[in-house]
Amino acid sequence: MHVSATLELIKENCIRGKRADLKEAVNAALAEGIGAKDIMMRGLIPAMATVGEKYASGEFFLPEMMIAARAVSEAMEMLKPHLVASGYEKRGKVAVGTVAGDFHDIGKNIVKAMLEGGGYEVVDLGVDTPAEKFIAAVQNDAVQAVLLSSLITISMANMRLTIQALDRAGVRQSVIVGVGGAPVTQRFADEIGADFYSPDAFGAVEKCNALLAQRA
Amino acid sequence: MTPKERVMTALRRGQPDMVPWVEGSMEEEIQIRIMDGRTDYTPGELCRALGMDGFGYNFPAAGGAVASQSHTAATSLKDTWYHPGNVTFQFSPPWIARMGIDATTGRTYIKEGLLTSRDSLSLFDEFLPDPNHPARYEQVAKWIEQYREDYAVFAGIRLGTSSTFEGMGLEAFSLAMYEDPGLVKEIHRRFSEWSAQVVEHVNKLDVDFIWVYDDMADTRAPWVSPAMYEEFIQPYQMMVASRIGKPWVFHSDGNLLPILDNLLQLGMSAIHPNQPAAVDINQVKQKYGDRVCLIGNIDLDYTLTRGTEEEVEREVRDRIEKVGKGGGYIISSANSITNYCKLENIRAMAKAVEKYRRYDG
Repeated sequence: MHVSATLELIKENCIRGKRADLKEAVNAALAEGIGAKDIMMRGLIPAMATVGEKYASGEFFLPEMMIAARAVSEAMEMLKPHLVASGYEKRGKVAVGTVAGDFHDIGKNIVKAMLEGGGYEVVDLGVDTPAEKFIAAVQNDAVQAVLLSSLITISMANMRLTIQALDRAGVRQSVIVGVGGAPVTQRFADEIGADFYSPDAFGAVEKCNALLAQRA
Repeated sequence: MTPKERVMTALRRGQPDMVPWVEGSMEEEIQIRIMDGRTDYTPGELCRALGMDGFGYNFPAAGGAVASQSHTAATSLKDTWYHPGNVTFQFSPPWIARMGIDATTGRTYIKEGLLTSRDSLSLFDEFLPDPNHPARYEQVAKWIEQYREDYAVFAGIRLGTSSTFEGMGLEAFSLAMYEDPGLVKEIHRRFSEWSAQVVEHVNKLDVDFIWVYDDMADTRAPWVSPAMYEEFIQPYQMMVASRIGKPWVFHSDGNLLPILDNLLQLGMSAIHPNQPAAVDINQVKQKYGDRVCLIGNIDLDYTLTRGTEEEVEREVRDRIEKVGKGGGYIISSANSITNYCKLENIRAMAKAVEKYRRYDG
């Protein structure tokens, strides 16, 4: 099969979330001699971007996005040994967490799935995350971005406190800080000194792509 | 008009003497703060403190639950359901999930859904009480008799959808829709079958209407597409909805617009809470106001929690003038009065409702 046809098949299976067909197509591509990096950069990541766009535009709903993200994540796992062997590094490393006082994880998990589909390594700090855990992620896991989620107004204050704590720990300038969640707005993000706000998961990936590229 | 007549008129999309105010939920701590630290108030006293026209959620013991206090130490979920430890008018099923509790606030939250496989279906027997056990219905009937006065009293139930989402977790729900669709349907069917039996008993209670709580959307969109809704959710919701024998309110946070035409086939009287971040209530009124009463839209994300008293007044006035026009509107927070609302803003809401609510000016 022609390289572009193979990659098109990979993309198609990603977008439709067909896990078994995707694995088969990835194996076929490797057997054809297509490099793991090409499969990822020209197949999986653009496919997940398409899924993200469809989700953001309202064409795709949560289950369609989740099944595609799972398929891409499994395909990435298949490619990992090949990528390691060829010395390829992930696009970046990002910590995600719902801030202290808030136990909602749906939005945070959607962002995590989209980031992984976008080629990022994600450190999931969970829910009710104290500022110290975000600081530790920067210091110990060398993340380049931290994304803070909040679904209830009362926990939004902890977004501000988390950013202040990152500052006091001397690591604020070394990371990009993004915020999101139902009550969060661009105005609030500006007020608390976040680097970006995104109203949806796909936007968060795009902002990470753009801001990390600027720093590279 | 009595408060009850006011609410029931609005639920029928009529125009009462004044715009009614009813909350679907009010956390107990802020109730106590509204009552200046008292815990022995009745639901009617709380209504009068703010000018609200109905009640139906949970209240501190208020003396009425003393008879059941001995049961609150029981670890069994079923026993707590049969013998509630506080005054309640709610009939939602217990969570089939691993729960956590925040040490600071005491709020419970779902750590992880437990309904993830065919084997896990046995948990329904373990967690769900017998829907035909008389204890809770008899207890609530006594509380209604004791507290109803001339307020509109509602009972809370679920159609089973949010229990399905919570019991499975959204990720497992999403994946199972593709890989084991029968499991999703079976889980929803079991919750709905339970609720359908519950609602037969609730119909017999002296409640005026029923408030159904089934979150199924975020601010962007419903969690399922219209086609998924029709296949995986609507048939089971209908199992319960078709048995509801009173006017009823459907509550889901978020933007329901992509599935609202389908949803309205269930036959509810009203939609709540019409979250400002998710929908433009004026557009909803314009498009659906002749089919369904609208409740809510006073913003919890900002106005009631972080806004000024002036902003609260402006918002209340705007909603009463625009959405209340011609009737079919009940003012309410979107989505509830939480402990983290500013007390002065709740009082400002009460003041503004009183100032602007009359239809005859």
